[in-house]
Amino acid sequence: MSEVNHDDLLNVDNIHTFIGQFHILEGVSVRVKKGSITVMLGRNGAGKTTTLKSIIGLTPPREGKIIFDGMEIQGKRPYNIANLGIGYVPEHRAIFRQLSVLENLKLAERKKGDFERSSEFIFKLFPDLKRLYKLPGNHLSGGQQQMLAVARALVPENKLLLIDEPSEGLAPILIQQMMEAIETLSHTTTILLVEQNFIMASQLAKQYVIIDDGKSVSSGSIKDLVLQPEVIHRYLGASIKTRKELEMEHGSEE
Amino acid sequence: MDRRNKRILQTTLIIVVVLGIIVSLYLYAGQRAFVSTIFSGLTLGSLFFLVAAGLTLIFGLMDVLNFAHGSMFMLGAYIGWQFYTNPTFIFGVAPLALAFGTGVMFISVLKPYLIAWNLTPRMQKLLPTIAYILAAVVIVFAVLGFDILGLANTAMVAMTTTTVGNPLAEISPQEPLAEFWIRPVLMMLGGLLIAFGSSKPGDKTQYAPKENLGKAMLLPAILLVVTVVSIFIRESAPVSVLLMNGNIRFLLSILVSVAFGFVFGAVIEIILIRPLYARPTFIILMTLGLSYVIRELVQFLWDPLTYQMARPPLFAMPGKAASIGEWLQNGNSTIDILGATVPTYRLFIIALGIVMFALVTLLMTKTRLGMIIRAGVQDPEMVEAMGINVKSVFTLVFALGVALATLGGIGAAPFLPVQPLMGDAYQTQGLITVVIGGMGSYVGAFVGAMILGMARAFGDYFALKLSLSPAIAEASTVIIMVIVLLTRPQGLFGSKE
Repeated sequence: MSEVNHDDLLNVDNIHTFIGQFHILEGVSVRVKKGSITVMLGRNGAGKTTTLKSIIGLTPPREGKIIFDGMEIQGKRPYNIANLGIGYVPEHRAIFRQLSVLENLKLAERKKGDFERSSEFIFKLFPDLKRLYKLPGNHLSGGQQQMLAVARALVPENKLLLIDEPSEGLAPILIQQMMEAIETLSHTTTILLVEQNFIMASQLAKQYVIIDDGKSVSSGSIKDLVLQPEVIHRYLGASIKTRKELEMEHGSEE
Repeated sequence: MDRRNKRILQTTLIIVVVLGIIVSLYLYAGQRAFVSTIFSGLTLGSLFFLVAAGLTLIFGLMDVLNFAHGSMFMLGAYIGWQFYTNPTFIFGVAPLALAFGTGVMFISVLKPYLIAWNLTPRMQKLLPTIAYILAAVVIVFAVLGFDILGLANTAMVAMTTTTVGNPLAEISPQEPLAEFWIRPVLMMLGGLLIAFGSSKPGDKTQYAPKENLGKAMLLPAILLVVTVVSIFIRESAPVSVLLMNGNIRFLLSILVSVAFGFVFGAVIEIILIRPLYARPTFIILMTLGLSYVIRELVQFLWDPLTYQMARPPLFAMPGKAASIGEWLQNGNSTIDILGATVPTYRLFIIALGIVMFALVTLLMTKTRLGMIIRAGVQDPEMVEAMGINVKSVFTLVFALGVALATLGGIGAAPFLPVQPLMGDAYQTQGLITVVIGGMGSYVGAFVGAMILGMARAFGDYFALKLSLSPAIAEASTVIIMVIVLLTRPQGLFGSKE
């Protein structure tokens, strides 16, 4: 605790997390500076999602410390952690499919009136949701579900958003819209983002952390990372979308 | 569009088949038999619904199949019957139970201070163990020599000595206050010790803020007052309850039974089920075992006998009423509906079932709790990650489910023989209802319960009329379940997942 940096909103310090018998995280450290986007990079199965789940408390770490806003939060129940002001957007668009769009948003309220306060902002960011607000979640398209999942985290006042792969499985045009939305959010909130799409991540984020095989192996400013192709190649290799792949995606859209 | 047409076709087909069955049954049985069978079907359906609603909600939200639900139904009948016939037992035991509960509830006040203690890991393990052992010793001393069987006997005696409608039983003398007071005090001490142990003193990984201590004080403080009151009224209250109008007393029995079910459900969830969520098969075995424990406890207190609870005055006057107005005025036991003679108490059970269905629907669709339950059925982890204490929602839903079962029990008590095995048939039918209606769907539970009720009623009718074995009625429900499972494995209203 001696090296507390007051710019850090979140300081994940060398956590070890087990799922059942499996030692998934073997020493992950992540620092998230207040007021910016930090991106977590790494191959599939490296432990990025588990890191987010450890922060929010769904898979509590056995060792290590997590300090949020000057308070140790490891070992607390997820709802306590969330109520400190952390919004979690899980992967695979985990919205509540039996609930309507409006109910999904209402459920996210922590105080009465949260939704009234934030609805204008949310519907400006995602105009689609206003049009669809009576529909049940399972009638939404993949992109709309992802927007709802993000919007849900915006209902209460959060100091930090944990967003897990918001672009996964979206059409390129929607990815663009999602990235613009996250850009807008970053003006008011601190964001820890998991993103496979390196090009996009490098446009959005200021800081990065690379997770590989359950360990955080590299971190710093994203500008420096762009200058280190050998690091990118070594840890992200297959997961970076090359220009060719991107072109192919655009091609398939036509 | 093709899919939509197919659905319209399916729906029409189902409506035509159902209407066809109804019309042919009507033509076959004739109006009188048809109407009276329909009413007994609705009665059974309502009782099945009260059992199945809790089962399906509990299963949907927490994947817990509660095999003790039928026993809780039975327990509800016993508690209601006790309160209605002679509440001496309930008022006699209440001070002890309340005192213990008060002690345990002080955990919310103690915990923030206890976890801040600085203890070695060894002491952290040792202290709770010592507290539990002490609690056990203290509780043994609290109940030592307490004449619980004498108290339980009062209602049994009342059964044989009183007239229907207003059974003013003799009140057996109880311990004088000068001797009795130490029992609730010791019970509260036992509760406090358990609260001390389970708040794990010195465990810094726990989180309990001191800020809302005022709010945390509220519940234990109220309970403390209620406990003290209950100590002083334990002898006089039964008499005044028995002097009340029978209908009001019945209403109170329902409330007592429901309140008991709610608290009992919450306690069972916290103590027995919560530690086992990671091991679902253990929960099934545990609830199965619990059902036997409850049954044996009831037999210990009230002997393995069958009791008949008197019907409240509104349903007790012999003779048939021609109209609803006449019934409400005279309190007839039967009423003429479309030429058929229908017991009025059945109308009460049917109303109970329908009102509860309406209330559950309102709860699930209009309230925040309902929203949380529907979301939790799909993904409880995500609900928790949004800042909602899912564990306490689990406790609440379990408590509500058990309260519905005990409501069914007291509802059925004036209509069925009150005996230790009375819940078993409802447990089975409740499970079949849940399977037919779809796990986790309260609408499915209602529709399934009504289908089963009708199947039972018409099964009985045909068995009687065609001289078949009465087992055909019971078999019919299983046959319906098999048909549903073969054609729609997720149940009528279950979602595919």
